[in-house]
Amino acid sequence: MSKLELRLAGVVAVLALVGASCGSSGSSSSASGKTLDLGAVLSLTGGGGVYGPQQKQAVELAQQTINDGGGVNGAKVRVTVVDDASDKSQAAQQTQTLINQQRVTALLGPTLSNSAVAAHPIAANAKTPMLAVSTTGFNIVGPGCTYCNGWIFRDSLGEADAIPTDIKAYVDAHHPKTGALLYPNDDKFSADGAQVVKSTVGKYGIQLVQSIEFTKAETDLTPYITKAVQAKPDVIFVTSLGGIPAKIMSGARQLGFAGDFLGGNGFNSAAVSKQAAAAGKGAQSASAWFLGNDFPSNGDFVKAFKAKFGTDPDQFAAQAYTGMLILADAAKRAKLSYTNIPADRQKLRTALESTDMQTPLGPFRFTKDHDVLQTIWVIAMDGTGGFTLVTSVKPS
Amino acid sequence: MNVLQQLLNGVFLGSVYALFAVGYTLVFGVLDVLNLAHSAVFTAAAVFAFGLIAYHQVPIWAAAPLAIVVAGLLGVVIELATLRPLRRRGAPGIAPLISTIGLALALVALIEQSRSHGLLRFVWREGANSVRFPPGTVPDRTWHLGSIALPEDKVAILVVSLALTAMLWFVVQRTQAGRAMRAVAENPTAARLLGIDVDRVVLLTVVASSALAGLAGVLYGAAIGDISPYIGRDQVELRGLAVIVLGGVGSITGSILAGYLLGVIELLALLTLGTNVRAAVAFAALFLMLVVRPQGLLGRRVRDRV
Repeated sequence: MSKLELRLAGVVAVLALVGASCGSSGSSSSASGKTLDLGAVLSLTGGGGVYGPQQKQAVELAQQTINDGGGVNGAKVRVTVVDDASDKSQAAQQTQTLINQQRVTALLGPTLSNSAVAAHPIAANAKTPMLAVSTTGFNIVGPGCTYCNGWIFRDSLGEADAIPTDIKAYVDAHHPKTGALLYPNDDKFSADGAQVVKSTVGKYGIQLVQSIEFTKAETDLTPYITKAVQAKPDVIFVTSLGGIPAKIMSGARQLGFAGDFLGGNGFNSAAVSKQAAAAGKGAQSASAWFLGNDFPSNGDFVKAFKAKFGTDPDQFAAQAYTGMLILADAAKRAKLSYTNIPADRQKLRTALESTDMQTPLGPFRFTKDHDVLQTIWVIAMDGTGGFTLVTSVKPS
Repeated sequence: MNVLQQLLNGVFLGSVYALFAVGYTLVFGVLDVLNLAHSAVFTAAAVFAFGLIAYHQVPIWAAAPLAIVVAGLLGVVIELATLRPLRRRGAPGIAPLISTIGLALALVALIEQSRSHGLLRFVWREGANSVRFPPGTVPDRTWHLGSIALPEDKVAILVVSLALTAMLWFVVQRTQAGRAMRAVAENPTAARLLGIDVDRVVLLTVVASSALAGLAGVLYGAAIGDISPYIGRDQVELRGLAVIVLGGVGSITGSILAGYLLGVIELLALLTLGTNVRAAVAFAALFLMLVVRPQGLLGRRVRDRV
């Protein structure tokens, strides 16, 4: 063998080695055979039981969709869904268990703002990203959140954005002069919403003639509804959730109230619209999502949900599904190790911050405070269990 | 007019309290036992009626009697499973209290866990959710008397409640069965010696009491528009206890009066003191009554009960 041949052979060998090492590093970036463990703390029972079950279905559907589409760079996604029974201490305990025992990389939930203030500090302390998919109260994220430390994200439209958008849209069309507000004062979501109504109505020339508080454990709301109707307001604001909005609507109609109802995220469920039925017709709210949107990221989701569960999804399902897509998308970009969980949690958090994707909610990004930046859909109950789109407002 | 409308709201609600408490007091009068499964029967009947109406399109005029029959059957279970065995064994007074609480917890848990795949899916698929009868189940017309609104469903509760309590009073005071009940209440041993089948009388009492709880549950569900596994426990259980103490434990007329009174007092408190004191009012009234007149409004010595 000549010297030239020897040199050539050496070059070939080096190239082969480099090629081999490239090949091996290429195969190590595929995570097939690995599992990305996620957790979801949802209210499947208790007051939030109106919303939690659909969220669970959406999470399961998302898990299936992601895994069928190749998972996260080959790794399977596995979500453990737990029920916090709409109770804040159970939410806290379940979050702790998922972080310490299940060793999840990130969490979704909880369903209710009331539970979030107990569960989120635990996730933040354990340096685990937690994505709020339906908590719309104040200071869930942002500068007012004293415990977040950058670990909490939110893909649900806050009441502070939703309610003023709704009121403005209604005032532009109907010019109401007076309003009465009804809300349970022992529920964070409802009280926060009421606060937003109180601080917004003046701006649009609406005089709040009654602000009526009750507690969420009360089931007979007739006396409160009577008080509101007797004040003869043009509109009634209802900033609560679960069965309360429908009950107020039916009761007020029975007592002869002919005006409209305006509210927050608590209206945005087919279950609520169905319960309110004809009494709820025209009840208007701002929503993070609208069933009838036919852009592909929503159309595909609605079709898949209906095929799997036989019913239309609602806003809560859409947000939970979106939450899963967001986590999976971030995980794909985060170069996770799947072995060093604390480091993976850190990487996932960083990746979440640069989210920019199409979702069932529309184009989605996070603000620098980790809050949602999306189009707002103003919708109204149609009197038969569904909603119609009134208008849409792009993020400013 | 404002106050009058609110007072009417109190009377409507009070009629449910009265109906519920009458059943409570009936069993206590005869057995000297508080049947704490009473509120679970209230819940179960409301849930059963809901299931028939919402899933099987049974009209309410058929669903309500069926729910009351189920409540009566639950009364049989209460007596045979939680009261009679303990009575036969001469167990201390606290024992039936515990056994009926146990039964109540089991019933509520069974309902709470029932979803579309659960054991009770025929009648309840809502888990722990709070639901209402489907729109149009109960009449939703409203009569207007001047500026007073009289919703048809609430007027119906009032009429049914008054009719049923009057009927119960008649049965207890004027019929053979009622005399037997009173004899057992007075002295079970003497009643047995007189040839009264005490077990049968007790069974009859518990069944009648449970049927009343069932009726109260269905009416509550219809008029208040709230049916969940927790309505008995959260809305009427402790208020029912307050009502029977206010009325005089074991006194049927006392319970009826106290039921309406509590409904009205709660409403007045709400109007004058604000909303958050409403739930506390029942217990403030209970406390005051225990201090001022421990035997209650119409309470008499123990042997005069029922």
